[in-house]
Amino acid sequence: MASVTLQSVRKNWGSFEALKSLDLHIPDGEFLVLLGPSGCGKSTTMRIIAGLEEVTSGKLLFGQEDVTNVHPRRRNVAMVFQNYALYPHMTVAENIGYPLKVTRVDKAKAREQVLDAARKVDLTDYLQRLPKDLSGGQRQRVALARALVRDPKVFLLDEPLSNLDAKLRVAMRAEIKHLQRTIGVTMIYVTHDQIEAMTLADRIVLMNKGAIQQIGTPDEIYDDPANLFVAGFIGSPPMNFVTGEVVDGVFRAPGVTVPGSPGRGPATLGFRAEDVTLAPAGAFQGTVFEVEPTGEATYLVVEVGGARAMLRTDKKHRPAIGSPVAFDVPASQCLFFNPADGLRIRRPVPHLQQVTA
Amino acid sequence: MTRAGSKWITFALWVLFSLMTLVPIWWMFLVSVKQRADLFGKPSFLLNIGRMTWDNYAIVITNPAFQKYMLNSLIVSTANAALVCALGLLAAYAMSRYRMKGKDNIFFWVLTNRMAPPAAFLLPLYLLFTGVFSVGEWSLFDTRIGLILLYCVLNLPFAFWLLQGIIDGIPAELDEAAYVDGASTWQVLRTVIIPLAGPGIAVTGILTWVFAWNEYLFASTLTSVNARTITTGLAEFVTVTGTNWGQMAAVAMLTLLPAALVLALVQKHIVAGLTFGAVKG
Ligand SMILES: Nc1ncnc2c1ncn2[C@@H]1O[C@H](COP(=O)(O)OP(=O)(O)OP(=O)(O)O)[C@@H](O)[C@H]1O
Ligand SMILES: [Mg+2]
Repeated sequence: MASVTLQSVRKNWGSFEALKSLDLHIPDGEFLVLLGPSGCGKSTTMRIIAGLEEVTSGKLLFGQEDVTNVHPRRRNVAMVFQNYALYPHMTVAENIGYPLKVTRVDKAKAREQVLDAARKVDLTDYLQRLPKDLSGGQRQRVALARALVRDPKVFLLDEPLSNLDAKLRVAMRAEIKHLQRTIGVTMIYVTHDQIEAMTLADRIVLMNKGAIQQIGTPDEIYDDPANLFVAGFIGSPPMNFVTGEVVDGVFRAPGVTVPGSPGRGPATLGFRAEDVTLAPAGAFQGTVFEVEPTGEATYLVVEVGGARAMLRTDKKHRPAIGSPVAFDVPASQCLFFNPADGLRIRRPVPHLQQVTA
Repeated sequence: MTRAGSKWITFALWVLFSLMTLVPIWWMFLVSVKQRADLFGKPSFLLNIGRMTWDNYAIVITNPAFQKYMLNSLIVSTANAALVCALGLLAAYAMSRYRMKGKDNIFFWVLTNRMAPPAAFLLPLYLLFTGVFSVGEWSLFDTRIGLILLYCVLNLPFAFWLLQGIIDGIPAELDEAAYVDGASTWQVLRTVIIPLAGPGIAVTGILTWVFAWNEYLFASTLTSVNARTITTGLAEFVTVTGTNWGQMAAVAMLTLLPAALVLALVQKHIVAGLTFGAVKG
């Protein structure tokens, strides 16, 4: 087991920049999730760590060891591919035992280890089957077992659950989390499903267009997004945005007046659906555009400040479409962004405020 | 047209094509089992299956020249097929998996090698074999190794083309998984690529084997006594004293036999192999 460090890693294909100078340190034993929209470079990052793709520039370290130019077979990483990449002509047992066979582990010992790995993922009844005779979930567990059978430095999983149905996905999610905790291995997990990321990760790396947008715990990413992209990507429904202007510490947009706002000039105000409380004299005045009951709550799509926003309200609440609606958002839950570059405009830290006052 | 009518037309066409391909073989077979005197009768001879004799076969099989030609053919065809498959597989793997400059051009260039009429190379090859590729007394002319190498040159583009399609059909992710699992390139080839490309390799082997087995033009020009193959040996039955049709037909039947056997056994795999890359598993 080892920590993984990427130092200014770039990857270009011709003139296309797939990764723009990635810096990332993953401590030993961490469960790190790479999250981002399709094509943002998650798989590329993973393949660089596994050695399947060469870096254009930069360095990759496992622990203190520079592995940038080490062949994949010598890196001792275990990888679960998105479509499992099981060897179709080998039985489950042969698939799981393949890493041991090619590294010439003693046969009796290998058999022992294969059984052990199969037991961990509950596959002992299927050892003689071929991959084509397995269900999606079973195949996925074979791929996991093939990674588990060794004692790898790093575990890489590239969207391992994306081919499974929703129910199995939830079950396997818990299984993977539990596994990582019990063996304490460094695990890097790629997904574009934010729920998966939030539930699994010690830390999340949110990427977009080949660059890291934010690194942090799931709570940090959710509560304290660094920019508009992160705020809009994380959360379901996504964060609501209203664009307006801050003058003398007051944010104004049509029907919206929020005092105590930082900065000055054009700003984008963000707030989450669940932080809303309906209040007739609230700071936000809008009209109901659509009503979406989900069973556990009722979501209102509201036209406010020249944009549409989602509000989470009581499940019994059914206002008429087109009726006016007013609400408040606690000041601490109002986030401000600079619309030009998307970066957060933070409130001055309280004690500094006192100093300037 | 009615369904029944189109059915009959299909059937008639089927019979016609079967006759076109099978009658010559049947004819040859009859010639090989008849006495010389019976051959020059009426056309009804084609239906006359009485009075068969295996004498022609007995004479031919015990003929030392025939034995030598047969052995030469077997050695040349088999060695050629093995060599072509091995080289073709390595080339196809490299071509399919590694990034290299001018990949498409290489592929096109290799294929165009097969487009020129073979006869155009005959004279240069003859001169090379007799004069240039020689060490002292020894030259490639009239040697089995000479034929094997020549057939390799002729067969490799075809094998390369066939095998590349097959390897392209094997997801590269399997190789990558194997590398990450700790396998060397050789182990990847042996434990992943070769088993998965098995039917395709078999097809390539058989088709190149049959090509070498049937080849006449070069074999007749570039060999004389020692390395003469069975297809060229056939011609020796045309002698100054006339043509021994019965024995010649017997030799032809025997020449046909190995190829027919091989093809019958693997026919199923050929179809599987040729469509291998079409549907990704
Ligand atoms: N071999 C390649 N040649 C050229 N461009 C490539 C190559 N591989 C990937 N790319 C490009 O690099 C970018 C990042 O690809 P990558 O596979 O890392 O995305 P991803 O984040 O894993 O997306 P997804 O969630 O869809 O899997 C994409 O725009 C892709 O088109
Ligand atoms: Mg991907």
